[in-house]
Amino acid sequence: MAAFAATAGGLLRLRAAGSEGQWRRLRGAGLLRGLLQPESATGVAAQRRRVAHFTFQPDPEPREYGQTQKMNLFQAITSALDNSLAKDPTAVIFGEDVAFGGVFRCTVGLRDKYGKDRVFNTPLCEQGIVGFGIGIAVTGATAIAEIQFADYIFPAFDQIVNEAAKYRYRSGDLFNCGSLTIRAPWGCVGHGALYHSQSPEAFFAHCPGIKVVVPRSPFQAKGLLLSCIEDKNPCIFFEPKILYRAAVEQVPVEPYNVPLSQAEVIQEGSDVTLVAWGTQVHVIREVAAMAQEKLGVSCEVIDLRTILPWDVDTVCKSVIKTGRLLISHEAPLTGGFASEISSTVQEECFLNLEAPISRVCGYDTPFPHIFEPFYIPDKWKCYDALRKMINY
Amino acid sequence: MAVAAAAARVWGSSRGLDRAGLLLLRRPGARGLARSLPRRQEQQHFPSLDDKPQFPGASAEFIDKLEFIQPNVISGIPVYRVMDRQGQIINPSEDPHLPQEKVLKFYRSMTLLNTMDRILYESQRQGRISFYMTNYGEEGTHVGSAAALDNTDLVFGQYREAGVLMYRDYPLELFMAQCYGNVSDLGKGRQMPVHYGCRERHFVTISSPLATQIPQAVGAAYAAKRANANRVVICYFGEGAASEGDAHAGFNFAATLECPIIFFCRNNGYAISTPTSEQYRGDGIAARGPGYGIMSIRVDGNDVFAVYNATKEARRRAVAENQPFLIEAMTYRIGHHSTSDDSSAYRSVDEVNYWDKQDHPISRLRHYLQSRGWWDDEQEKAWRKQSRKKVMEAFEQAERKPKPSPSLLFSDVYQEMPAQLRKQQEALARHLQTYGEHYPLDHFEK
Repeated sequence: MAAFAATAGGLLRLRAAGSEGQWRRLRGAGLLRGLLQPESATGVAAQRRRVAHFTFQPDPEPREYGQTQKMNLFQAITSALDNSLAKDPTAVIFGEDVAFGGVFRCTVGLRDKYGKDRVFNTPLCEQGIVGFGIGIAVTGATAIAEIQFADYIFPAFDQIVNEAAKYRYRSGDLFNCGSLTIRAPWGCVGHGALYHSQSPEAFFAHCPGIKVVVPRSPFQAKGLLLSCIEDKNPCIFFEPKILYRAAVEQVPVEPYNVPLSQAEVIQEGSDVTLVAWGTQVHVIREVAAMAQEKLGVSCEVIDLRTILPWDVDTVCKSVIKTGRLLISHEAPLTGGFASEISSTVQEECFLNLEAPISRVCGYDTPFPHIFEPFYIPDKWKCYDALRKMINY
Repeated sequence: MAVAAAAARVWGSSRGLDRAGLLLLRRPGARGLARSLPRRQEQQHFPSLDDKPQFPGASAEFIDKLEFIQPNVISGIPVYRVMDRQGQIINPSEDPHLPQEKVLKFYRSMTLLNTMDRILYESQRQGRISFYMTNYGEEGTHVGSAAALDNTDLVFGQYREAGVLMYRDYPLELFMAQCYGNVSDLGKGRQMPVHYGCRERHFVTISSPLATQIPQAVGAAYAAKRANANRVVICYFGEGAASEGDAHAGFNFAATLECPIIFFCRNNGYAISTPTSEQYRGDGIAARGPGYGIMSIRVDGNDVFAVYNATKEARRRAVAENQPFLIEAMTYRIGHHSTSDDSSAYRSVDEVNYWDKQDHPISRLRHYLQSRGWWDDEQEKAWRKQSRKKVMEAFEQAERKPKPSPSLLFSDVYQEMPAQLRKQQEALARHLQTYGEHYPLDHFEK
C-alpha cells in the first residue's frame, strides 16, 4: 500500500513539479525539452497526456474574513490545520507520513511549529489510525487523523461505522468521539486507477452518526475543514486530490467557518437544477455555461458540500422551481449518492418534475487506469443528459 | 547515490554500469525532484563497515550459521502466582500485605458479582431480560486489577469485566437498569444487556464488536500522556479478541507512540466454543508482547493477589516511563459464553467442575481470609443471605420500572438532531397515534 502511495504521491509531485499536465521526460534518453516529439519511427502519433477534464473556477475573493492570501487546496488545508493547532492545545494530527509534511504536502511545517507530540507518524495501519483517533477524542482532545488515500479507508470501516458513528448513541451520551476528524484525499486524478481515484462517500452516507464533507475549492476547504474539526460529531473530510495544486484562489489567513449540512447555490437558474460536489462542481459549472450558450437553457448549479446529513431543503426548493434535476458524481452509478438524492427529491417534488431525474456518474466498474477519459462523467456526458431532459 | 556507489564498488569499473546506467539508477529525492547532475558521492562514516549490520530496520549481530528460531511453546512464559490453589502464600515477599478491609472488599465484590450473575442469568432463562453473560471463574481478574488502579484510571473493556465496575461501587440498580433497559438506564436502553458504561467511574461503554476498544484505549492513553494526567488506561480483552487485527494495531501503536497503557488479556481458554488450540499456535498472548517491544507478563488470573501485584507494578511503570505493559491473566470461563450458548456441546462437565471446585478465585481468597482469621463460616452464611437480598431487591425494582420514552430512539445520533431525523421522529409519533395498539406502549414512558 505504502509503495504505491509513495509512487502515486511521487507521480503527482513529479507532475506538479513541472508545468501543468506535462510528463517529466526520462533522463539520458535524449529527448528534447518541452512537449514530447510528434511522430515516432513507427508512424503512430505519440500520445500526449491529456489535460484535465475540468477547469477550476475560483470564487471571488472573500472580503468578510480579513486579509487573504493566494493558496492552493493543500495550502488551504495546511492553513486550517495551522489555525486549529494554534487555537486548540489538545489538537493533534497523525497518520502515515504526516511528520515530514505528508505525501500531498498538507502538513508541511506543522511538526516544526507545534512539536513532535502533536504532529506525528503512526505505523501503517488504517484501522489503528482511526481507532487511535477515536480514543483520543473520547478523552475530549481533538484528533485529526489522515488516511493517505480514501481508497485505503476500508480497513478502518469497522472503527468508523461500528464505533465512531455509534459512540454517543450507544452510550446514552455518556461518551462520544465528536472531536475526531478524518481527512483523506479523494477522487480522480488523471492516472490514479483503481486505488488512487475512489470516491467512497456513498459507503459512509449510509451510516447515521458521522458527517461526510467534500469541498470544491481552497476557500471552501479551509472553512469546511475548520467546521468539521470544531463540530461535535465525528466527521470525514474528503479532499479532491486533483485540486490540491490545480485549484488556486484567495483564502483568508485567519480562521473562518463554512457551515456543514448547507448546500450552496453557486449560480441561480430557472430551467434545470444541477447538483454535484468536489471536483465535479467545476464540470457542471461548465455544463451550465454550455447549456446557456448552445441551448439557451438557464441552469441552477448547487454544490452539495455536505453529503451526510445533506441539505434536502435547498435541493428540493430548487427542483420545485426548475422542475428538472441532474446529479453527477465520479463514483459508480449503482448505489451512488445520486440515488439517495434522486429518491428523496421524487418523494418531495414529484408533481413538480417535468422529466425523470438524471444521474451522470461513473460506470459500475472499478476505476480504470488507461480508460479514465472514458470512465469519468465529463461535461459532454452531462451536457447530453441535460439536453435529453430538456427535450423530454 | 549510495546505490550507484555501491554498484560501482561491487561490479568494478571494468564491468561497471556506464554513466547513463548510473544515471538511471538514481532515485528521486524526498521532494520528488530528480537530480539534474550526478551528486558527488557522499562518504557515510561507519566505524567498521564489515562488523555490524547497518540496516535501518534491525541492527543485531551477524550470524553465519543457518538456524531458525524455535517458537517456545513447550516451556513458555511462566505463570506468576502468589497463592497456591488452597489460598496459601507461597513466597511471603510477594504477599502485598493488603489491609483486612481492602481484602474483604475484594471478597465482597467477587461474591456479590457472582450472586448477581446467578440471578440475572436465571432472569434471562425466565424471559425477563433478553440476554446475559456471566463472569463465573474470572472474578479474580476483574477485582485484582481494578483494585490496583486509581479510581480515575480509564477502563476500556470487552464484555466480561463487570467485576471492575462492581469494585468501583457501581450500584446494583444501574447494572439491572442496563440489563432491563428501563428508565433508569444511563445508556437510555439502546444496547443489549451487559453493555455497561459509566462516565463517573471512568468505564467506557462496552460495545459488541471485539477488540475495537484496543486501539481506542491506546489513543486515550496518548491523550492522557499529553495532558500530564498521571493516569493509566487499562484495556481488557479475551484471548480470542487478541486475534483481531485491531489488537495488532493497538499493540504496535502503543509501543511506537509510547503510551501509558496496560493491556490486560483474560485468557479463559475459550472463545465461545473455540479452544485456545484453535485460536493461536504460539505461546499465548504474553509471548506476542516482546514482538512489539512491550513489557509482558503472564499471571495466574485466579489468584487475586498475583493479578493485583502485576497490575500495580505495571501501572506504576506505565505512567512513570510512558510505555505499555501486557498482562496475560490465565483463567477459566466456568460459565457458558452467554445465555445463547450451551457449552456442554463442546466441553466436558468434568473439565468445568475441576475449575469450579479446585481452582476458583473466590474459594482461594476465602481460604486466605479464613486462614488469617478475617472470615468464617458464619460470616459467609450471613453475607450470602445479605448479598442475595440486596440483589433481589434491586432486581424487583428494576422489573417494575417502565422503559424510556420511544422518542429516545432518535436522540444522540448526533449531538444535535438533524432535520431529516426529526421528521422521522415526528412520523413515528403520528404512526403511533393511529396504530399504537399494536405496540407495547404500556411498558414505556410517554
